[in-house]
Amino acid sequence: MKIIWANVLAIYSRELQSYFVTPWGYLIAGIFWSVSGFFFSVLYYNLMGQSVQMGSDPNLPPIDFAYELIRTFLRVLGQVSMFILPILSMNLYTEERKRGTLELLATSPITNWAVALAKLSAAVTFFFTMLLPILAYQIFALNGANPAIPLEPLLWGYFGLLLLASAILSLGMFISSLTESTIVAAIGTFGLVLLLSLIDTISNSTTGLVTDVISHISLLKHYENLVQGVVDTSSMVAFGSYILLGIFLTAQSVEAFRFQRS
Amino acid sequence: MIEVEKLSKIYGSAAAIQDVSFSVEAGEIMGFLGPNGAGKTTTMRILAGYLPATTGTAKVAGFEVHADSIKARQKIGYLPETPPLYPEMTIEGFLAFVAKIKGVSAGDRSTRINYALDKCNLTERRNVLIRKLSKGFRQRVGIAQAIVHDPPVIILDEPTVGLDPKQIIDVRELIKGLAGDHTVILSTHILPEVSAVCDRVTIIKQGQIVATNKPENLLTGLAKGTSYEIEVDADSDRVREVLSGLQHLSQIEALSVLNDRPRFRITAETSHDIGRNIATALVNSGIPPYEMRRTQASLEDVFLELTTEERSSDKAIDETTLPTPESNPLEASIDDENQEAQL
Repeated sequence: MKIIWANVLAIYSRELQSYFVTPWGYLIAGIFWSVSGFFFSVLYYNLMGQSVQMGSDPNLPPIDFAYELIRTFLRVLGQVSMFILPILSMNLYTEERKRGTLELLATSPITNWAVALAKLSAAVTFFFTMLLPILAYQIFALNGANPAIPLEPLLWGYFGLLLLASAILSLGMFISSLTESTIVAAIGTFGLVLLLSLIDTISNSTTGLVTDVISHISLLKHYENLVQGVVDTSSMVAFGSYILLGIFLTAQSVEAFRFQRS
Repeated sequence: MIEVEKLSKIYGSAAAIQDVSFSVEAGEIMGFLGPNGAGKTTTMRILAGYLPATTGTAKVAGFEVHADSIKARQKIGYLPETPPLYPEMTIEGFLAFVAKIKGVSAGDRSTRINYALDKCNLTERRNVLIRKLSKGFRQRVGIAQAIVHDPPVIILDEPTVGLDPKQIIDVRELIKGLAGDHTVILSTHILPEVSAVCDRVTIIKQGQIVATNKPENLLTGLAKGTSYEIEVDADSDRVREVLSGLQHLSQIEALSVLNDRPRFRITAETSHDIGRNIATALVNSGIPPYEMRRTQASLEDVFLELTTEERSSDKAIDETTLPTPESNPLEASIDDENQEAQL
């Protein structure tokens, strides 16, 4: 068991390093920061305008401007991430297959699920490092807010975003394990993201038993709960299930690929 | 060190390999020879634990490669046909990564990396990015990753494919240097590689083993006797008339005419050297040869003999109709193997 965890750590380090030694990682981060920064500015000035309007009307209740901005921005950040995550996950296995390094991993004393876990952890860590500057400027921009920024919902929101990203990356990793083409992997994962959005739309637009079931499998619904500060076990179980499902399917797919090789 | 018994791999209705059995002793270099598509890579992949076999067993260092996969993999260094490399890493960084995932302890890692770098002549380039290396150096890095964890068994799939002649010689020397400390099995379709590097050779054809023996034994066993090529100033009838009385003569065959002088190949029975008798008979008959040279079967001949469809079917008839080891080189080689095993 010790050797397996040591191997997970070795693959995790190599994988994480690969994001930082190629321009690709910086390009993705740059795009993510630019787009999210743009939306933050737009939301900031929009809410600022609304706040001024509402402030001039003494009949309206006061609003917590900073809290509203954080919640709205986290929702937008979730949407932006869903476009970025397929690009992060598309290379996870396709490159290994193209370079033949999957054969190296598959003939090393390490199991398929451990490789998948290590790869997913590295991708999530990279995404986390992409979030840090955003979190920092958010805190900096809202530092003078009165009342002070509610730290707990902010952190739960970001934790939710990490879980959402982990689930999508995990499923994206599975899709990347099915093909040698990075484009196909990216399109496939993007299709999955659209499906998740569709599930969320259905769960919001109708009612009934089916809708209840759909809302339970809607990742965006669970993310929204965390953004709202509603932390419940079902959301954790849902995210955990998606993450484990992705790892399990990836391990099975790599195993099946070995069986298919001629 | 490697024991393979009745190994088969079936894809749908097609068998990539069928009932393959062989063994490799510790410290030995065994060549796995066969034409393209014969099942070499499939066998190598099964041995490396990458592919599961449909039936049969393969044991490496005492561990069954599929049932006891993780333990077997620790004992194996494997170079696939395409070296598995991460181009964005330096050679040393890559070897450190492989050492970690192969379970080399942190204390031994530096020593093992230096050993692999030194053995593969990569020390001076240890900090070079892999993407900047030539094909020959990439192949060396591929071999270095296969030996970095000091495995008792090294599996090399076509280790010299695509290299230039100088690189091929370097890689062969490198492989020869691994013998003794490691058991090496290498697949190839390049015949000189086998005679240059291997202690023993297994020939595979259409997924089935057709011979296993030392290269020199295969040559001796399958050669149809020593041949002599002569160039004389006489026609076929005259040559046959002069030489037909010689003892232990097996065959006289007319070859293409060169410089208006007829040429013949004269084959003696196995284990008989009748060169001097031929020369004497020709001189005494007044047709001294312009040229006479002894020719021996090459590994190419053996390979063609065993793997060419037409000749193989002839061989199959030989096997069933000729019971003596002398007249049946395949049985001779099997007998040799048995004797070796008994010893």
